[in-house]
Amino acid sequence: MTDGDPSAARAGLRARAALRGVRVQDVALPLVVILLVVIGAVLKGRIFFSTANLWNVLVQASVAGTVAVGMTFVIATGGIDLAVGSMLAAAAIVGGHYFHGAGSAAVMAGTLVAAVGFGAVSGIAVAWLRIVPFVATLAMLAATRGIAQQISHQTPVALYDLDALTRIGSQRVLGIPIPAIVFLIVVGLGWVVLNRTRYGRYVVAVGGNREAARIAGIRVRPIVFSVYVLVGLCTGIASVLQTGQLASASPVVGVGLELDAIAAVVIGGTSLAGGRCTMIGTFFGVITFALIFNLLTLENVESQIQQILRGAIILGAVAVQRRGH
Amino acid sequence: MMIHREYAVVRGVFLALALLPPACRKEEPAKTDPAPAQPEAAEPAKTAAQPPAAPTGAKIKIAFSAPAADHGWTGAISVNAKKQAAKYDDVEFSLTQAATAADQVSQLNTIVMQKPDVIVVLPQDETVTPAALAAMKAGIQVINVDREFNDPGAQRAVIKGDNYGVGYQAGTYFASQLHCKGNVVEIQGIAGISVTNQRTAGFADAIKPCKGGIKIIAQQPADFAPDKGLSVMQNILQAQPKIDAVYTHDDDMAQGVVQAIKNANRDKEMWLTGVGGSKAAMDQIKQGGLYRATFLYNPTMAASAVALARLLAKGQGLSDLTEPVIPNLIVMQAQGVFQSNVDHYLQIGF
Repeated sequence: MTDGDPSAARAGLRARAALRGVRVQDVALPLVVILLVVIGAVLKGRIFFSTANLWNVLVQASVAGTVAVGMTFVIATGGIDLAVGSMLAAAAIVGGHYFHGAGSAAVMAGTLVAAVGFGAVSGIAVAWLRIVPFVATLAMLAATRGIAQQISHQTPVALYDLDALTRIGSQRVLGIPIPAIVFLIVVGLGWVVLNRTRYGRYVVAVGGNREAARIAGIRVRPIVFSVYVLVGLCTGIASVLQTGQLASASPVVGVGLELDAIAAVVIGGTSLAGGRCTMIGTFFGVITFALIFNLLTLENVESQIQQILRGAIILGAVAVQRRGH
Repeated sequence: MMIHREYAVVRGVFLALALLPPACRKEEPAKTDPAPAQPEAAEPAKTAAQPPAAPTGAKIKIAFSAPAADHGWTGAISVNAKKQAAKYDDVEFSLTQAATAADQVSQLNTIVMQKPDVIVVLPQDETVTPAALAAMKAGIQVINVDREFNDPGAQRAVIKGDNYGVGYQAGTYFASQLHCKGNVVEIQGIAGISVTNQRTAGFADAIKPCKGGIKIIAQQPADFAPDKGLSVMQNILQAQPKIDAVYTHDDDMAQGVVQAIKNANRDKEMWLTGVGGSKAAMDQIKQGGLYRATFLYNPTMAASAVALARLLAKGQGLSDLTEPVIPNLIVMQAQGVFQSNVDHYLQIGF
């Protein structure tokens, strides 16, 4: 699943790996997902396997999952974005507070533009001001949460009256909840851009070896800038999904979202060092966490057990991936 | 219920919020304070003995130290404190917010050096106690809001909400509305903190007389956050085919729970209650339907704390009480707000 490898050398490695057969780190996560599904079937067969619940798992995954798609690009360049949770809230508030009167479309557009704007600020800080991504986005984490609190006067903005927006939470298309559809589309587009476009190859090349990428004629800074804008866009989409489901824009949503997204990307097999990434892995990473949450809540297991399991899975998944190096 | 072993003097002055709108809190006007100099009280008494009086003309300096506004309620705490302070011409008010207990300790140390008359503290947790103790030792009176210090010498007065009472009032309401029979879901705050434990314990104790007739079929924390409330409830709705009512620990978080239920088209099947007294919650209670009640844990206590701080600095008591000094402990009433009485409380919704 190193479907983002750019260079011929790596492609060669991949070919050899394929010859040796399937690598353990490629199948580990799908196996965990299958295991979770089996556990679900045994414990809560009829409820767990209902189509309603399976869509529900995707809806649950949709917010963190959509963000994780963008996060995969950022991490592929060797960067990180800690601000996504706060950006999600700030974008929702910008959309809800300023554009409430102008209707659903305006709220959504305002949210998207705000999120892209925040991402662009991070991107400029990292690409041109050369601030380490961890620090730049840590600053944005604080600043955007503050913006959310300040604009909203620390009060949620009720948006019940916006029909089209709230339908995101309540309506289904072909029996599929809208957040699930959006999430799947974003994952699909993310996969195509990462694996089937020149831009995707550049992103991975910059993450793999910045100097080599520069010598090869890639303009590194715009690429680095662009991934933060991209994660901003994904966060904006996630923010619209969240706002639609909540029928209100709240300044306190998205706390800890960055960690959920990063964890999903990392257990999926994308390397924090950059240069090695997998969108399919990210998808399975997101689904793994959503399944754990779903199963344990169905069983009414105390939340601390969930935390322990999440920790164990992160450690286990990353340990398995390290074997490949 | 929280017990204050250390307090022997004034205990359990229960003040219903409704009885204490800002207008009633004004002390006797035109009581010019003759005290010419600020008493150098190096060790202010723990009991309500000798309040320092502010010099005439000089503004009363009140410093408010609060946790960062990480959810609706903490946000409203700061807003309420600021609003109340703005009502007084004779108060010089400053507000600091701390994201962690460690931040708050260092902020408090800085504040002490600026020598305000009174410091009002809503601590992140009890590890802030030594900083408050140091302020008292330096001769600055401390008023403790809601989360209590673990040393009685760390403050002159405590004003707090009643978490156990909130749970108990809610439990009593559920028992009567459900006639002691039904499936209840409990959406808690942050797992493992005393606020959550007490709101859960009060509820459990209040439904005990039903002898198991009210079943808590699911109990999960959602960290006081609407997005977590949404996703936790989405899962619970899958697992539970029959839910009669939902007890949530927070109005803000309840918003997510409400939407999960509505999005699943199950809002006719059950009803729900919150805690806090947010404006959004009260609006929905007034409308009728899914949101039946909320139990006040109102951030107006921060406004009252500022009023108390001013009285303390001026050496005055609460106007309708006999004592010439403010009480040591004030516990807010966990008043239930229902469709029948919501109009009464709308103005304090946050």
